[in-house]
Amino acid sequence: MAGIKMVNVKKQYPNGFVAIESMNLDIPDKEFVVLVGPSGCAKSTALKMIAGLEEITAGEMYIGDRLVNDVPPKDREIAMVFQSYALYPHMTIYDNIAFGLKMRKTPKEEIDKLVKEASEILGMADLLDRKPRQLSGGQRQRVALGRAIVRHPQVFLFDEPLSNLDAKLRVKMRTELKQLHQRLQTTVIYVTHDQVEAMTMGSTIVVLKLGQIQQVGSPLELYSFPANRFVAGFIGSPSMNFLDCTIAEENGATYVDTGAFKVELPADKAAKVREHGGREFIFGIRPEDMRKRREKQENYSEAHVHARINVIEPLGKEMYVNMTADGLDFMGIINARFQLAPQEDIELTFNMDRAHLFEKDGDNRSVAHTAKNATSLEDARLAESVDDD
Amino acid sequence: MLKQMPTSLKMANRTFLFFWVFLAAFPFFWMFLISFRSPVDAFSFPPKLFAPVTLEHFYTVWIVDGFWRQALNTTVITLGTLTVSLTIGCLAGYGLSRYRGSMGFWILIIALVFRAMPHVVMLVAYKPAFWAMGIWNRYETLIIVLVAINQPFTIWMLRSFFVNIPEELDQAALVDGCNRVQTFVKVIMPVMWPGVITTGLFSFLLAYNDFLISSQLMSGDHMTMTAALSNYIFSDDSLAKLMHGVAGAVSITIPLIFLVLFFQKYIVSGLTHGAVKG
Repeated sequence: MAGIKMVNVKKQYPNGFVAIESMNLDIPDKEFVVLVGPSGCAKSTALKMIAGLEEITAGEMYIGDRLVNDVPPKDREIAMVFQSYALYPHMTIYDNIAFGLKMRKTPKEEIDKLVKEASEILGMADLLDRKPRQLSGGQRQRVALGRAIVRHPQVFLFDEPLSNLDAKLRVKMRTELKQLHQRLQTTVIYVTHDQVEAMTMGSTIVVLKLGQIQQVGSPLELYSFPANRFVAGFIGSPSMNFLDCTIAEENGATYVDTGAFKVELPADKAAKVREHGGREFIFGIRPEDMRKRREKQENYSEAHVHARINVIEPLGKEMYVNMTADGLDFMGIINARFQLAPQEDIELTFNMDRAHLFEKDGDNRSVAHTAKNATSLEDARLAESVDDD
Repeated sequence: MLKQMPTSLKMANRTFLFFWVFLAAFPFFWMFLISFRSPVDAFSFPPKLFAPVTLEHFYTVWIVDGFWRQALNTTVITLGTLTVSLTIGCLAGYGLSRYRGSMGFWILIIALVFRAMPHVVMLVAYKPAFWAMGIWNRYETLIIVLVAINQPFTIWMLRSFFVNIPEELDQAALVDGCNRVQTFVKVIMPVMWPGVITTGLFSFLLAYNDFLISSQLMSGDHMTMTAALSNYIFSDDSLAKLMHGVAGAVSITIPLIFLVLFFQKYIVSGLTHGAVKG
């Protein structure tokens, strides 16, 4: 068992392209860490540097307390699961799983015991004498996992292991991987481009963009307190709405003015805006933090917005509603009880306690985010259903 | 699925294909047929479909004229060329398929240039040099020259097979405890067989069929089958001698037919799939 530490790690390719300028990351032992970001954010490169499959141009990489910059992959005590599974096509499943042990000159009886054990954990004891091409995608995935766990490595590295599976199997494997982690108690570093996967699996999430770490935190931290606009937009689905706005002060109250509508900022956010001193910001509101306005709004601040419905995507329990307010498009999640139709007008209230403000230039740093005491989503939904009765 | 073709079109297709195969195969078929006949029967007019069979020409060529000796030479040369060019080709092709710098591109372009060059160009340079060095008329010399001609092609072809093997397979092996050499030997080569066989067959044919270089660099006891064969064809003094040549030609062709038939499965899978899917 070991943690991983990256100190000013840089990656420059032979053609001069700098994938990672300087990465600092400290991953504690036994953690399930997810590296997430859009394609081209160097998440796989970072993983391969930990594995030793990519050279480190500058900086230091530690696994446990050992500096591993010049240690070849085979001596790093890591195991890796690849997106394409990368099973050895000419070997049986047994040999696939046993290969790593054979290379390490493990005694034959020992290998036999370990392979049996691993195949039992993954429920494929009866597949051991097949070849990879005789297995389904899900089964291959399991073999790849088996090949990794049989070696009892210090660190597991997963490179988008679920993206070749169909949606249903993916959800199932997600749970299985999590259980596996709880059972094995080994550090896991998991790369994905899918924020849902990141949110559901990681105890810590590292959001990357163009080789730079944007934010490190627990799933709920990233969701509620995104450090910048990129993280806010990347985490959560459907993603947060962003609208350019200016700050207006009237009668001692502070308003956000998007041109299409004007909503009042709660006192704590107003204070932060005053502290910052700027006038122009990007206003961010998640689709789930708005709802159709009715009488008796208790938890939501008084912020009424009129919009026209463009498109409705019903999902059963709720619907995604794409709306326009004076030329500004945004998305809201509305309870499915309401009878809505395209081209209708709708009046919304925003949960301003959960609204965000971002700087307009540079890295779009967050100025104000979800209030610490903000009504949680579940509370709001509960309140909504109580309203019903 | 294809839609059912109308019967008339099907018939037309078959007729055309039959005609085409007949046209293409007839010369070989006829050569095979007359190689078992006495010269009078072979060249009678009008041609006879049936005639008395004799193995006399084969006996003369193989035993009396010592064609077995040339067959042995060709075997040594072909196997030598095959072994050397596949070994170098696999190593170079694997290296080039995994190398990411710009040098790889230029190496391949240079290989392509050498591939495009007429073989006789090299011969002009080689022959006097080999004379001067006194290494003319030796197996090693011909093998080196044939490998030189063959190598650009094998590198290109093997490289494209290696490119089709996902790099993740290398990486999996490296993480599993292999060093680079072990990765190549234990993981990559075992899935490369279709590629090696396909490429190997093409290099085999090149070496086996070569006439230009072999006939110039080898003589006497070291002559190859193709070079020896030309002696029969060019000397038009007697029909009997020409018939020995025909028997020799048939002897050269038969192994090729069996070779292609035997490896047909691998060649097709090699040419269509490229390599294995994980």
